[in-house]
Amino acid sequence: MEKTEIHQSASQKQHPHPVIITDAAAMTALGSYPGELWAGLLAGKTAIRPFGRFGADNTDAKIAAWIEDLKPAGGRSMISTLLDRLLYNQRAIPPDALLITATAKAGIDNLELLRRGYPADSRDILLSSVSKIISQKLGLMGKGINISAACASSTVAVARGAAWIASGRVDAVLVCCADIVTAFVLSGFSALKALSPVPCMPFDQNRSGLSLGEGAAVLLMMSKKRAERENRHSIGRILGWGVSNDATHITAPAKNGCGLVQAISQALKKAKRKPEEIAAIHAHGTGTLYNDLMELVAFRQVFEGRKVPIYSVKGAIGHTLGAAGGIETVLSLNTLQTRVIPPTVGCSRPEAGAEGQVSSESKPIFGSYLLTTNSGFGGVNAALILGK
Amino acid sequence: MKDTIIAHITGIGWVTADSSGCGKNHDRFTLTRQVLPNIFRQAVFDMPDPSFRRMDAYCKLGLAAISLALKDARLHEWTEKRPIGIIASTEFGCLSTDMDYFDTVMAGKGLAASPALFSYTLPNSLLGVAAIRFGLTGINFVISESVPFGIAGLQMSLDVIASGETEKMLCGACDLGCPPSLNVSGHSPTGAIFFMLERSPPQNSFAYGPVGLDRQCRVRFGQTEIADLAMLVQACLKNDRS
Repeated sequence: MEKTEIHQSASQKQHPHPVIITDAAAMTALGSYPGELWAGLLAGKTAIRPFGRFGADNTDAKIAAWIEDLKPAGGRSMISTLLDRLLYNQRAIPPDALLITATAKAGIDNLELLRRGYPADSRDILLSSVSKIISQKLGLMGKGINISAACASSTVAVARGAAWIASGRVDAVLVCCADIVTAFVLSGFSALKALSPVPCMPFDQNRSGLSLGEGAAVLLMMSKKRAERENRHSIGRILGWGVSNDATHITAPAKNGCGLVQAISQALKKAKRKPEEIAAIHAHGTGTLYNDLMELVAFRQVFEGRKVPIYSVKGAIGHTLGAAGGIETVLSLNTLQTRVIPPTVGCSRPEAGAEGQVSSESKPIFGSYLLTTNSGFGGVNAALILGK
Repeated sequence: MKDTIIAHITGIGWVTADSSGCGKNHDRFTLTRQVLPNIFRQAVFDMPDPSFRRMDAYCKLGLAAISLALKDARLHEWTEKRPIGIIASTEFGCLSTDMDYFDTVMAGKGLAASPALFSYTLPNSLLGVAAIRFGLTGINFVISESVPFGIAGLQMSLDVIASGETEKMLCGACDLGCPPSLNVSGHSPTGAIFFMLERSPPQNSFAYGPVGLDRQCRVRFGQTEIADLAMLVQACLKNDRS
């Protein structure tokens, strides 16, 4: 290693390895993707309803988007059951695919059981358990790694998977993300006064907090060459990515949106796209006062006042924490395919300045590129540019 | 060595059961599963920092090592935020805090759930406190890999630098070990190690040496293939003295 500068071939600098998505699936409280989930979104349905899995008497919200019959089995966490369902009809995954999983709290339901004195498999509590479960279920060669970046976990996982492929170091990456609604997270967000007592209302003037949701998603990304060799067709492309920290507060976003602006700018630069080429924004849109306002401030700055259509699916499927970015990436692929953005369920009177941008009805979009963003505790912000 | 990514290690900081400090002040390093010392603010920062007292043990441990790595690289002082990234690896993360938080939920049947503790129930809280304390705005996330104190974060950090996403990366690991009341068969040593990686360190500045990632994702420091982060610290200290 005699030379002391970074070596990169000229071709590497010019994205010689396009990143395409060949397989995608998602499981949420509104159903599974594509089928019922997409149809439900377009119909403006919501899966947020009274919570029935455990007592939520002492929390600010007694509602969540929860999967009706999701139960633990054989001492394993509910997250294992959720992953079983997600992968039930999954087409074979190449065993050499690099596995990157993403979760905020993994099998935290088992920690609850153990603390209450009930038997449960303690292995599922660790964040790495999700990678181990997936690797085993799919017979992958590697054990994989898990990425944790709060509510941007799976967005970061997609970004790093795409980066590995773009660098030419690997040619197949499987990203899998999952999170569940538990007493742990419900009580925590309630303690922080972040929950809405009614189904969340992203970008609405009367929004009062988020609604929790649960779900999982899987995305198989490949280099173009590898996909052609395996006869897998592209359902979308990851063109750019950016991740940043606003370095402001542990649980609150920077009001000026500086972190999100930085992440979006990086993603646009990586994708070699201009803001005016973005057809729509799939926003984080949690329904909390500060998050939604921060996003609107950031979008206004990046797009210089241009009224790009914005939507959030959290009024339909709830906030799925670390799985949000992965699920939203899967749904964004369908937006690009159909050129239709689903309604922002819960938003009837958009925040000042967002009139005409956020709608409670589905809308057509014009263009081939979509921006999707997520932000989370710890000041993290992440953005992806997707293409058809 | 075509297509090898190379960056320079300009700072090392650690806190282990044996010792804590900056790489430049030490000539030996060990990482064990022994009990870690308590970390006090005075050992990390000269000036009072009210937020330090509120942090959980996991954040204090990681922040101490990050602070020492930045100091070693002479990057601890700042006036404007800078796009330095952080990738941290952990096996158990903030599991002890998770347990403490959930005990407050059980104690008051949900009514006494502690928002202060809940704020620290994500392993990337550590990155948030470091970002705030040192104005770090670059890419940041936590990984959990199959080998504790392994090199996955280092590989990713080098890839981030090579792709031009940032010029400087902190990467390392932080683990308090398995909480005694939980029977999880983890393998993690206890402690925190962080490295400062720079694409092009300033002229005449000190660097331990270049670290590289080849096409097969092998990490090398000099001629030595690196298997874990403890090995990399030892290789750096040896190189520093030679």
